[in-house]
Amino acid sequence: MNKNIGVYVCECGPNIPERIDVDKVVQEMSSMDEVKTVKKFNLMCSNDGKKFLKEEIEKQKLSHVVVAACSPKDHEKTFMSVCQESGLNPYLFQLVNIREQCAWMIPDKEEATSKAVKYIRAGIHRVLYHNPLKKKEIEINTDVLVIGGGLSGIEAALSLAGPKRKVHIIEKTDSLGGMAADLSQVLPHQGSKMDLIKKKVEQLESSEFVNINTFSQVKEVRGFLGNFEAVINTHSGNGGVEEKEIKIGAVIVATGFNLFDLKKNPIYGYGEADNVLNATEFEDMINSEKILLKSGKKPKSVALVHCAGRKEQGYCSKVCCLYNLKFAHYLRDHHPDIEVKELVIDWCLPHKQDQSYFEEAKDKGVDFIRMDELLKTKSTGDQIQIEFKTNDKSHSVSVDMAVVAPAMVPSEDTTKLADILNIPLDKSGFFKELHEMLDPVSTPMEGIYLTGCALGPKNIHESLTQSHATSGKIFSTLVPGRKIEPEVKVSEIKEDLCTGCQTCLSVCFYGAITTDSFKGVSVVNEAICRGCGNCVGSCPSGAIRSKHFTYPQLYQEVLDALR
Amino acid sequence: MEKKFKPNIVGFLCNWCSYAGADLAGSSKTQVDPSLSVIRVMCSSRVNSNLILSSLLWGADGVLVAGCHPGDCHYEQGNYYARRRFALLKKITKILNLEPDRIQLSWISASEGKRYAEIVNQFARDITKKGPNPLTRNSQT
Repeated sequence: MNKNIGVYVCECGPNIPERIDVDKVVQEMSSMDEVKTVKKFNLMCSNDGKKFLKEEIEKQKLSHVVVAACSPKDHEKTFMSVCQESGLNPYLFQLVNIREQCAWMIPDKEEATSKAVKYIRAGIHRVLYHNPLKKKEIEINTDVLVIGGGLSGIEAALSLAGPKRKVHIIEKTDSLGGMAADLSQVLPHQGSKMDLIKKKVEQLESSEFVNINTFSQVKEVRGFLGNFEAVINTHSGNGGVEEKEIKIGAVIVATGFNLFDLKKNPIYGYGEADNVLNATEFEDMINSEKILLKSGKKPKSVALVHCAGRKEQGYCSKVCCLYNLKFAHYLRDHHPDIEVKELVIDWCLPHKQDQSYFEEAKDKGVDFIRMDELLKTKSTGDQIQIEFKTNDKSHSVSVDMAVVAPAMVPSEDTTKLADILNIPLDKSGFFKELHEMLDPVSTPMEGIYLTGCALGPKNIHESLTQSHATSGKIFSTLVPGRKIEPEVKVSEIKEDLCTGCQTCLSVCFYGAITTDSFKGVSVVNEAICRGCGNCVGSCPSGAIRSKHFTYPQLYQEVLDALR
Repeated sequence: MEKKFKPNIVGFLCNWCSYAGADLAGSSKTQVDPSLSVIRVMCSSRVNSNLILSSLLWGADGVLVAGCHPGDCHYEQGNYYARRRFALLKKITKILNLEPDRIQLSWISASEGKRYAEIVNQFARDITKKGPNPLTRNSQT
């Protein structure tokens, strides 16, 4: 192939000539054998500049283009599209950064000029080793699989099905609604009522775009954004298992939480002492409107114990303070003859109305007792004695009934599902978001999103907000009729050099590499690969090439740096 | 008169954090030692011993590898792999008699333009003090 390299030095208005002798640069470059033409231009990224570059590529029949201008973060894409429009493969182009990393950081004009020459020379030598990479387009499936039929899953499914997106929702139990459906009421001060949950379930059940699968679990998920295949196992009534395969474009994980098993730590007295209940059992009592001791008598006093499992699990579950307050309000409102003692370690009242909800409970005569640490819960005769430590002194209270608020823990299938989906867990055992602050519902696997308590303890409205976020992500990435363009600068494995050691498999965070067991070599799935080059760095036999960052390309840059 | 020694340093910067940090150093007009030449890679995990040792063998007086801070890698964990490979390479350079302190791994985020300048300037000073890469010194004599 005939190599006609065009080199263009952008002056970026006054920015570059102020610190770099552009004419000298042009002169130096002209003497290079590989270069057909060198020109300077005042502002390459302007419309005139783009037109100029286009004409140059066409007129001079350039095979490669080097532009020395700003950072690739600014205008690499701009000039690549000009190349594309001019019929030149955009990857046969190199942008050399002589503004930010040269003119603007080297005050001495002579030094800056020779540095610019060095960088441009490296760019010219590098571009000769560039390959014309081709963009790929992949057809997409826009259907969505929602794993988990709790409130988070329902909300995600609803917000997708509203605008007619087809959704498959998988629930392992017999009905939708999850943990929230068992509540006596959601927090009244936050304005929502239980029938809202019922309405959501009804709405989902009546939607023609939603396919509901109860008694079902995910057995396998393969593929990538826009092209997943999932195997679903459904337990039929007679003990058999029905298996079906569905095709989807994205997956939402909404597997929720479990409650901390209070029997794990004897200090809570759960399972040992009579009349020690966990929060769900108390919810059931409220539902049946019978607050009764085992003996059938009505209790005279009830203790609400906070923070069970917080120390063991190592995190605050965020919602227990509020539902304990809910219990306290309920008892004071409906059973004013029952004395309520609330044993609190720390308060977690993060939302705007929570503080006044707490103040109101105080006004209703709830006895709040601060403890530093719970020591023991035991029965003494008909009563339950709760011992605790405050300011290094032991105290105790005696009550007829104790309600213990257990922490939220990952639901039991979390580890298994993480393995199926190839997504990570955090140290508490919940699913891990891609970035806690900046990308809170994504996972390293593009197209797999997380919502609700599958990520960690959360209240209902936070879960719903996250569900909206996941559906937003899906609406913006999987647009019907549009194809997706996977990363072009990906890794590629040379079969004849690969020894099949699988080192690359273990370092790939995205699961983009698999083994061809017949040939005994590793294979990159280009649709999943993000092009970090970690596998290239790890390959002991040098069989992996990262496109556009190959050894020859980088070596050229090294050689010029040392010239 | 003997010419003052000016080192040649190769800097492999990851695209997402350190390269952007270098850009920021420039756009805030921070002075950075010109003896370091920047080579952009997508992730610090791409930089293995081949690239670093080749640079040294071809005469680089120093090699800087810079990536995102731990926990901030654009590719989640690439920088941890880079760190592990680097720890191993440090030992290898010792065995090869290549002076381990001629290579350095640093974490520079996209917002740390000033830190970029400080790290590069300090590294350049250190290398200048050390003098030329012994491999090139030998070849010149």
